[in-house]
Amino acid sequence: MKKNLKIIISMLLSASLIFSLAACGKGEEAKEINIMTWADFIPREIIEQFEEETGIKVNYKEVASNEDMQSLLEASPDQYDLAVVTDYMVDILRRNENIQKLDKDKLPNFSNLNPVYQGQYYDESDEYSFPYAISTSFLLVNPEAVEELGANPITSYEDLWQEELDKNLVVIDWSVEIMGLVLKTLGYEYNETDPEIVAQAKDKLFELKDNIMRFETNTPEDSLLNGEAVAGFMYSNQAVKGQAANDKLEPVFPTEGFPMYIDGFVLSSEAPNLDYAHEFLNFILEPEISAKISELTSFTNPNVAAQEFLPEDFKNNIMLNPTDDIISNASLYIDVDAVLEEYEHIYSEFKMK
Amino acid sequence: MNKTSNRFRTFYLSLFFVILYIPVLGVVLYSFNKSPSTASWTGFTLDWYRDLFNDKVIIESFKISIKVALLTSILSAILGTTTAIISTYVTSKMENVIRGVMILPLLVPEVALGVSLLLFFSTLNLPFGILTLVLSHSLFCMPYVYLMVLLRLKEIDISIIESAKDLGATRWQVIKTILLPLVTPSIITSSLLALAMSLDDVVISTYMSGPTSTTLPVHIFSMMRVGVTPKINALSTLILVGTFFIVGLSQLLNKKSNQ
Amino acid sequence: MFNKEKFKQNAPAIPVLIWVGFLVGLPLVFVIILSFLTRDDLGNVVIKFTLSNYKKIFDPTYLKVFFNSFLLATLTGLITLIIGYPVAYFTANLSPKKRSLSIGLIMLPFWISSLLRTYGWIILLGNTGIINNILTKLNIIQSPFNMMYKFSTTLIGTAYMLIPFMIIAIYNSVDKLDKSLLEASYDLGASKRQTFLNITLPLTLPGIAGGFTLVFIPSLGLFFISDLLGGGMTLFLGNVINSQVTKGRNKPLAAAFSIGMIILVLIILYLYGKLTKDKKGEGLF
Repeated sequence: MKKNLKIIISMLLSASLIFSLAACGKGEEAKEINIMTWADFIPREIIEQFEEETGIKVNYKEVASNEDMQSLLEASPDQYDLAVVTDYMVDILRRNENIQKLDKDKLPNFSNLNPVYQGQYYDESDEYSFPYAISTSFLLVNPEAVEELGANPITSYEDLWQEELDKNLVVIDWSVEIMGLVLKTLGYEYNETDPEIVAQAKDKLFELKDNIMRFETNTPEDSLLNGEAVAGFMYSNQAVKGQAANDKLEPVFPTEGFPMYIDGFVLSSEAPNLDYAHEFLNFILEPEISAKISELTSFTNPNVAAQEFLPEDFKNNIMLNPTDDIISNASLYIDVDAVLEEYEHIYSEFKMK
Repeated sequence: MNKTSNRFRTFYLSLFFVILYIPVLGVVLYSFNKSPSTASWTGFTLDWYRDLFNDKVIIESFKISIKVALLTSILSAILGTTTAIISTYVTSKMENVIRGVMILPLLVPEVALGVSLLLFFSTLNLPFGILTLVLSHSLFCMPYVYLMVLLRLKEIDISIIESAKDLGATRWQVIKTILLPLVTPSIITSSLLALAMSLDDVVISTYMSGPTSTTLPVHIFSMMRVGVTPKINALSTLILVGTFFIVGLSQLLNKKSNQ
Repeated sequence: MFNKEKFKQNAPAIPVLIWVGFLVGLPLVFVIILSFLTRDDLGNVVIKFTLSNYKKIFDPTYLKVFFNSFLLATLTGLITLIIGYPVAYFTANLSPKKRSLSIGLIMLPFWISSLLRTYGWIILLGNTGIINNILTKLNIIQSPFNMMYKFSTTLIGTAYMLIPFMIIAIYNSVDKLDKSLLEASYDLGASKRQTFLNITLPLTLPGIAGGFTLVFIPSLGLFFISDLLGGGMTLFLGNVINSQVTKGRNKPLAAAFSIGMIILVLIILYLYGKLTKDKKGEGLF
């Protein structure tokens, strides 16, 4: 028994060693804020500039999805001050009371924002969030390759169903996006719940299967660059990258309409460093900083005052700086959560067909 | 062994290693590619290496990964070996219970384990960081050590232990002088495995890392929205070269000391 | 082995059981409970008992997912066994110094992120990849040959990722093989093949069983390999569980799938333990 004790003690010792090691890292109250979002979504340069100017240390928790951020904010709201999440997630976080109202008195730069992107369904009076980066998704097409296949030029979603495009499309890998694409093609809205319409969309979706060669959310532009696909439905920052690598690739904003995403800053319900967090937010809203962020990350800029600081080629790029005309055809995914389960099931069936 | 089978052995192993390393060489190759995309080769550059050294985030996350992996492999080596040795002393019913419990971490899908540990640790009010990372990683690494050590323990000739006991050896002495030396090779290979698995974990680490403790794989995965840069390829190349260098050096030193 | 009082004998195991039981058992219980709960329209988990998550698993689409994953995991196990066994066997027969070099070489790639190594396969097999480049340059093929986004691509990637587990497990059991047994067999006039089939193979069976377990289980849960190499064209359990937690925001369904997967593994392990049960009772788990 004594020997057993030795084993137990050595185990406990090793465990406590680990505990104490970890405790070392904790440190005392410091001038810092904790931000959470995708890696590089807030460029390092910007954060370093902020740290230099204010002496506030920025800890950047990197995550891969909106849903991860939700789980983390829910589990430990006092560990985080700020997060950047996509529109629909602002809605969920707000309704679940995981985020708190912004103190606009501390955000004099708030007025710089473009009202076009404000007052959206997820935060009608702009109390909980403000837009940080705008993106859309649309088609990136290789017109020459489409012609070579003997297909008609692609100008709308409907054109994706052409037989000639067999195994030549790459699309975003998410039920909501793909069901949305089909619903728009049929002339409906994104969040249709009517069983008849959904059934109609399902049939239409299944007809598309043969034309898809790959589902890819992160680097779909690569498929156009290496020639395995002739057209892709992808996010704007990816299309920008694709076109930069091959100028023969052209963006096509489908006539039926296309989705827009507004990524915005939100404040955790138990944010420990409110003042510093607001200081950071105000910094982000400064025109020059905002312009620099858009340039570095390839997202559309929601800051009116920042427009004059944007470089010419950014302003002239229709994907980064879409005209009002184009934007009027874009819409957010509203209330998808109510239909998500159904869409997911159809999507799984579609993939396993 | 005769010559032909020796030659076949060398051939087979060489072929295996070539195939094993081809994808790795692809990673190395594209660390020198001008274009940030893997879709095409547009020319040779060393820029990614320069950028890598200026990228504090990557360097920092790499350091954290190494720290976590080392602590994890030590902790899982201790726990796994202890468990394996203990399991040979308990009743056979208890042994089965231990086996069952040790397979649990392998059975539960990573996401499920990650999300539940997140809730669990935040209820306990543990600060998320190195501690939670090491605790959670050792959970799925420990079974491997346990398994490998157990495999070897089972093969040990009971008569050795019996005779040691007849000579008056205590249980602790038996463990220290007979069992441990015999299982050491298994402990080493399985802790290397644990090290590699901890270094590579992304799903559980996503939930277990705190604001100041992003690990390298988490960094890479969360880069996907904005785009993974070849800086990561550059870092991997350096890790490879560095490890090769260390391994080669130790082989050389070994040779010298043998002479 | 020791005839002591049962409790005293079992006492040392208690801390281990508490440690693992606490950290994995509790989450497991949590997952089980979760799988019977409901998701509301916001994606939140509501405490309302339901069996509908399990009903969904038996939907033909998801049954196909189970079958797909089972097929992938089994084939991965077989491929890694066939390729890995000789590697382990030969490695164990090398001189001690070469042996550690070989083990080192097997482990080394695993210091590199598996995501990157998966990209490495794309660099190799892709449309503008190394193989296609060489073949077109040599005029063997005119236009790139499509090797990506197939079941087989996923299989290659998965086997590649998991083969060290198989090799290490088999290596451990070949390594401790009593060499005198082999010599005795040769002395008795047995051929190499006979010796291998009658002695080496049966004696390394625990290693094979262990390796198979260590490869089979993780290959059910991997998800990004089929996303990247398989192009997301079909679903596997790992994908479904992961995407139900994130994209689908349906944790109860993901939990039910997890339980389904655990049950699948337990059934496989049980059957498999029955099949390979040798006299020593080393079914490993």
